[in-house]
Amino acid sequence: MNEHIVKSFEDELNNLAAEVARMGGLTESQVADAVTGVVKRNQALAASVVARDDRLDEAERDIERKAIRLIALRQPVANDLRHTLAAMKVANNLERCGDLAKNIAKRTLVIIESDPLTPLTRSIERMGRLVVMRLTAVLDAYTRADVDRALAVWSQDDEVDEHYNSLFRELLTYMMGDPRTITACAHMLFVAKNLERIGDHATNIAEIVHYEATGDEMITGRPKTDGLKP
Amino acid sequence: MPLPEPLAPRRPERLWWPLAAAGGAGLAAVAVLAATGRAELMASLTALAFVALSAGLALFLTGRQGPALTGEPAQDAGPQAPFAEVVDGLPDPLLVVSAMEADDLTGRRYIFANRSARELLRVGPSQGLLISVIRDPQVLEAIDEALFGGIAAESVYEIAGVQARVLRAQARPLGAGPDGSRLALVAFRDETELRRVERTRVDFLANASHELRTPLASLSGFIETLRGHAREDEGARDRFLGIMQAQAERMSRLIDDLMSLSRIELNEHVAPDDDVDLSCAVRDAVDAAAPLARARGVRLDSTLPERGLACIAGDRDQIIQVVQNLVDNALKYSPDGGAVSIALTCGATAAQASAGERSDLTRLSLLSPDHAAEAYAVLRISDQGAGIAREHLPRLTERFYRVEGQKSGERAGTGLGLAIVKHIANRHRGGLLVESGEGRGTTFTVYLPLRARAQAAVAKAS
Repeated sequence: MNEHIVKSFEDELNNLAAEVARMGGLTESQVADAVTGVVKRNQALAASVVARDDRLDEAERDIERKAIRLIALRQPVANDLRHTLAAMKVANNLERCGDLAKNIAKRTLVIIESDPLTPLTRSIERMGRLVVMRLTAVLDAYTRADVDRALAVWSQDDEVDEHYNSLFRELLTYMMGDPRTITACAHMLFVAKNLERIGDHATNIAEIVHYEATGDEMITGRPKTDGLKP
Repeated sequence: MPLPEPLAPRRPERLWWPLAAAGGAGLAAVAVLAATGRAELMASLTALAFVALSAGLALFLTGRQGPALTGEPAQDAGPQAPFAEVVDGLPDPLLVVSAMEADDLTGRRYIFANRSARELLRVGPSQGLLISVIRDPQVLEAIDEALFGGIAAESVYEIAGVQARVLRAQARPLGAGPDGSRLALVAFRDETELRRVERTRVDFLANASHELRTPLASLSGFIETLRGHAREDEGARDRFLGIMQAQAERMSRLIDDLMSLSRIELNEHVAPDDDVDLSCAVRDAVDAAAPLARARGVRLDSTLPERGLACIAGDRDQIIQVVQNLVDNALKYSPDGGAVSIALTCGATAAQASAGERSDLTRLSLLSPDHAAEAYAVLRISDQGAGIAREHLPRLTERFYRVEGQKSGERAGTGLGLAIVKHIANRHRGGLLVESGEGRGTTFTVYLPLRARAQAAVAKAS
């Protein structure tokens, strides 16, 4: 075991990781609630997601402050520097996920006003659940420093993309079929896009976990599908 | 020279075990009551069981000295051993959390986790940092209330994953520990099944009412015609009765499939445990499909390993259902004179199994296991049909999803086959993969974790 001579340094590092894990828990529940809100057309839940976003912003600022303080006072190197930087970067990605969840919730409040798009909601639900699963898996990987699990998340990002592309087509069909649904469908399109970007942030976090544990960047190209072409 | 034994002090830990045991027995009784649906008895008994269990555990924890909690061998291991096993073996996950101060996040640790808690949270040792195993803000809040507010609190705890779980977490204060820390007991009750029953019922009604309406409407239309102007027309009557029979058969197939999907979904979070030899199961299913293949003029090529190699923990009937559904699909979309290949191999890792083997086709994982096992049995079923366009791939396992413009022949399916395959694979902690290209056929791959001793046999054979 490589224990530090200065015990409080160790404590500070552990505390930073713990703060990130707690922030991760908050983000997971924000994203999950945002998805449930849009699927179940639950106005109260969507409104509470919007209201709770401040907690995530505050958590990110707090983690950043602590990380900067740690770098300034302790001048960490090697492992310790990577842990500190990783905490900052993960927090940053989580905050972005939180913003996207908040945006989904805001759109939900608009979508609720028009008629339900039942079959579409199912597709959104599937994609939403997939994205929440990714986020949970990558946060598990972070708290347990499990590189294999992080790699698994990293290599499966194309699944989310495929769902997004399929949803995109489905939405187009809807809008062409009935122009009255265009407002709701356009918002749904952004909901799907937001989910896809939350998936991207999960992939980013997977890269950070890999870097934190090994010190190597992932250079091999991820299997990327070019979904914009028909 | 041995020191003289000190006088045994009056120690409270002699009391803890009957209380904990009573609590444990109470909880077990609650589980039985839950199964029989006696709600009113259950509530009062749960409360009693918790009081006894909490009191027992509190005495247990204060009675044992510090080192015993930190994993070092206990000084006095005498009469405690069997009761530690009782608590450890309880079916409900139990966690004891200790904390020093409210604003110290890393000070919150779990200092005891029984076997089912360790399984639930996927941790090895029975102690560690709380935040590293539970991140759910509401559950953490409930635990904080028990630790620092001194009151019992509860929360719903949902675990995302391919086998999603819903639990109720109940936190109770346990008072102060020997070192001045605060203690709380967190007990989880699995409500996954309850939720699933609810949801399955809703889904079943929605699906059944929606999907049965079409054939039903056509049936009543024909009946009306038969009673009206087609009454005397013998030719029309025969033709209509034929159509009506086909529709009735479709309805009954639909109900069968819906029922079996509901059944599978209900215990999807419970992994099956029977020994199944995949080679035999696959051979049986392929033999059963042979007459249909002959009738359609399609060849079935199967390559299976010898018996005893591809052993998995599974449910034989469900495995056969998977093979049947996939082979049926492959036959349906095969051109006349084509071939369907069925290949079973053993020993691949999750990464190898989900990599596919046809690089010229679009590949998409429809289901990947949450936690990779060491080695898998991989079943690939390929046809030479028209293939499936890329945009349809993510939605293949959706209920009643149909690929537009695809002719499935006279034997129309229910639209539930692949959904059933996916849920069965998930129950077996396996994965499902599709590879397809327009005009280049389709391959479905199901991979299921091998039994440990089968892994050894595979390693020996290769």
